[in-house]
Amino acid sequence: MTVKIVTDSLGDLPADIVKKLDISIIPIHVLFGTESFRDGVDLTNEQFYAKLVNSKTTPTTAVPSLGSFIDVFEESAKNADEILTILVSHKLSGIFDTATKAAQMVKTKARIKVIDSINVIMGEGLLTIKAAEMAKAGNSLDKITQYIQSNIQRIESRMAFDTLEYLKKGGRIGAAQAFLGSLLKINPILGLKDGEVYPLSRERSRARSIEALYNWALTYRKIEAIAIEDATTPDEASQLADRLKKRYPDIPFYHAKVGAVIGAHVGPSVIAISILGDK
Amino acid sequence: MKKIDTYDGVAFRDMFSAAAGWLEKSVSDIDALNVFPVPDGDTGTNMLLTMRSAVEEAYRVSDTSVSAVAQAMSKGALMGARGNSGVILSQIWRGMAQGMSKKESFTGRDFADAFLQASKVAYKGISNPVEGTILTVIRESAQAGQSFAANNGNDLREVINAIVEAANKSLANTPNLLPVLKDAGVVDAGGQGLYTILEGALRYLRGEGEQMQFRKPQMVSSNVTVPARLQPMNMREEPFGYCTEFLLKGQKIDPDKLREKLKKHGESLIVVGDQTNVRVHIHTIDPGTVLHFVTPVGTMHQVSIRNMDEQHEDYLAMQKHRLPATNVSIIAIAPGDGIKDVFSSLGAYVITGGQTMNPSTKDILQGVEAAVSDNVIILPNNKNIILTAGQVQALTKKAIKVVPTKTIPQGVAALLAFDYESDLETNARVMEKARNAVRTVEITRAIRTTKMGTLRIKKNQAIGLLDTDLVAVGNTALSVLTQVMDKLDLNESEVLTVYYGQGIEKEEAEIIGNTIREKYANLQIEVVKGDQPHYEYIISIE
Repeated sequence: MTVKIVTDSLGDLPADIVKKLDISIIPIHVLFGTESFRDGVDLTNEQFYAKLVNSKTTPTTAVPSLGSFIDVFEESAKNADEILTILVSHKLSGIFDTATKAAQMVKTKARIKVIDSINVIMGEGLLTIKAAEMAKAGNSLDKITQYIQSNIQRIESRMAFDTLEYLKKGGRIGAAQAFLGSLLKINPILGLKDGEVYPLSRERSRARSIEALYNWALTYRKIEAIAIEDATTPDEASQLADRLKKRYPDIPFYHAKVGAVIGAHVGPSVIAISILGDK
Repeated sequence: MKKIDTYDGVAFRDMFSAAAGWLEKSVSDIDALNVFPVPDGDTGTNMLLTMRSAVEEAYRVSDTSVSAVAQAMSKGALMGARGNSGVILSQIWRGMAQGMSKKESFTGRDFADAFLQASKVAYKGISNPVEGTILTVIRESAQAGQSFAANNGNDLREVINAIVEAANKSLANTPNLLPVLKDAGVVDAGGQGLYTILEGALRYLRGEGEQMQFRKPQMVSSNVTVPARLQPMNMREEPFGYCTEFLLKGQKIDPDKLREKLKKHGESLIVVGDQTNVRVHIHTIDPGTVLHFVTPVGTMHQVSIRNMDEQHEDYLAMQKHRLPATNVSIIAIAPGDGIKDVFSSLGAYVITGGQTMNPSTKDILQGVEAAVSDNVIILPNNKNIILTAGQVQALTKKAIKVVPTKTIPQGVAALLAFDYESDLETNARVMEKARNAVRTVEITRAIRTTKMGTLRIKKNQAIGLLDTDLVAVGNTALSVLTQVMDKLDLNESEVLTVYYGQGIEKEEAEIIGNTIREKYANLQIEVVKGDQPHYEYIISIE
């Protein structure tokens, strides 16, 4: 039995891991006005942030079409008996609904399962990596699904960034509204848990906001994997990673880039950590 | 010359049918915005039902002229209108139908004209139009449609695009026109509904029909925070009464006369329609009298009487849900409009007070009772208010913690340290720690000549306080500030905020800011209007 892992581009998986673990990525569509790009396919991460900073129009994103899911499922079914699709939190995107519909429509012998990861960025990515590793090791779809379901709650992501400008433009922010309107310059920290973005704290400088991410990581009793992401500031991300590696020398660290959907809301200054572990 | 497309009634129907579908997707989001006029049911739902009824009627006509289709939609909207916003929407359709009257097909310019007519009719149906609502959004966007059509042409897509862009801008500005929106930190719900309908029509025209199935309309966000100002919840003292609605059918009804007669029976009165069908919406304490009054005029249909006090309870519960997931509120006592705004922008309820204007225990208690949470942290922000704040616990069932902030910078630092995840105890501890990590410099004027330690002070000289201790004297604020800062080790500091007081010009304050910036390149300097009395400058060093 072969299990093929499919995910969306919101999981921010680095290209080398995608290749090594043979994961299929369905790209989200990024729209700048009338220009449409497939995240990570027609538009690299660098190009996206350059456009975000320079373009007058605020980018929006669109769920990939039903057809693109069907294509990926049919293609994957050629070499696999079972397909596990791990997707971004349904509270943040309509991708889950579209994929579920596509899974019902597609005519193939392969069994297709669609899971809501209840996460995004590398929070979703860490789960997908685990799933792909298990698939490579020959585990069944049911076993992998069971693992994912019971570990979703052990994932949490946090992000620090410099400006509320993009969050304001983006509109759909829910509880993060609490940050808007601040008359003092603040560096907000947002959390992503249970599929939703929520406000955590406000720091007065970038250095302190990154310190807050570091301190948060230290509150864990046990960590199984850490992912650190940046958008345009790789040096800061690797400094943070180096400090954490000293505290957690024996666990896997992943470096990734925050993709277009979350990036459009938090802007090019974002630094994010996702942790799989127990507090 | 560019060829201009014309559109017939079928196109008109299809574009608004798609728009109704688009609206449907954000109904619950729009319902959640509902604040005005306070408890009026669910704006999103009401607008959708009105739109659906309009579109259904459009499908019933066989005539494909835009005149006939718009007429049908107008009739359908009136029949299906529900709630304040639904009734206004039905008036918009009525104006559209008037604008499209006798037209076989229409162009961008025709649409702009019909939309302007829609705006006029919408205003006419309301006895006292309020700005910052759907009415503002339609008026401003209709004007934009007019000027676009006048200057740039006749293409329907371009005209509607101009209207949609203007509607977005107008909508985002509604909280600045209507305090009730600003306090709730939302845009007008009816305006959002109209924007979504127009945007849906535009998307359809652009051929995005398929994509629309998998996307959701974007909610326009206001740029004010929640909660903005202390909003005493004792609105409860005034009963809201009953939201009463019905469709009146008869012969030769005069809506204007009826409106005039019903005026004295309640508020938020809307009477719209023609001689045979009139829709009435009123908030009244006594629905019986209203019904009794209209019985001889015609037959009543779709009668709905809802208790608005109940709706208000639901609304309060919903507002609570909209706030971040924390059950701790913060009350800050602060002087000066600028400083008050800083505190409220960071999520605190603000009570006016400070040096020489200490609030009473009762003032603070009222704030505590008005806060949405059962746990409240009080930031006195002045050493003379700490004791008063301490009295509050004995007078309320709510759990109170006083974080004894003695200065404004301590209060701001404490508030910024608020952790949305933590409970009352932990937050009080975290905030206490943050309060101690900030240094405060206050610059004021000596009220008399005196000698303190080694300092000789003349009346009206500038004096500088460091964490409330008098440490410097001089002739200008800048010289005193320089003296105080020389006493500090600023190597570990990162952020310096200057709040300038009443009577100080922004330029003056900027000079102070720039002088510090030149001397301490490592500091991030912010200059903020504080408007506080007595203190020319309050400076926070973190």
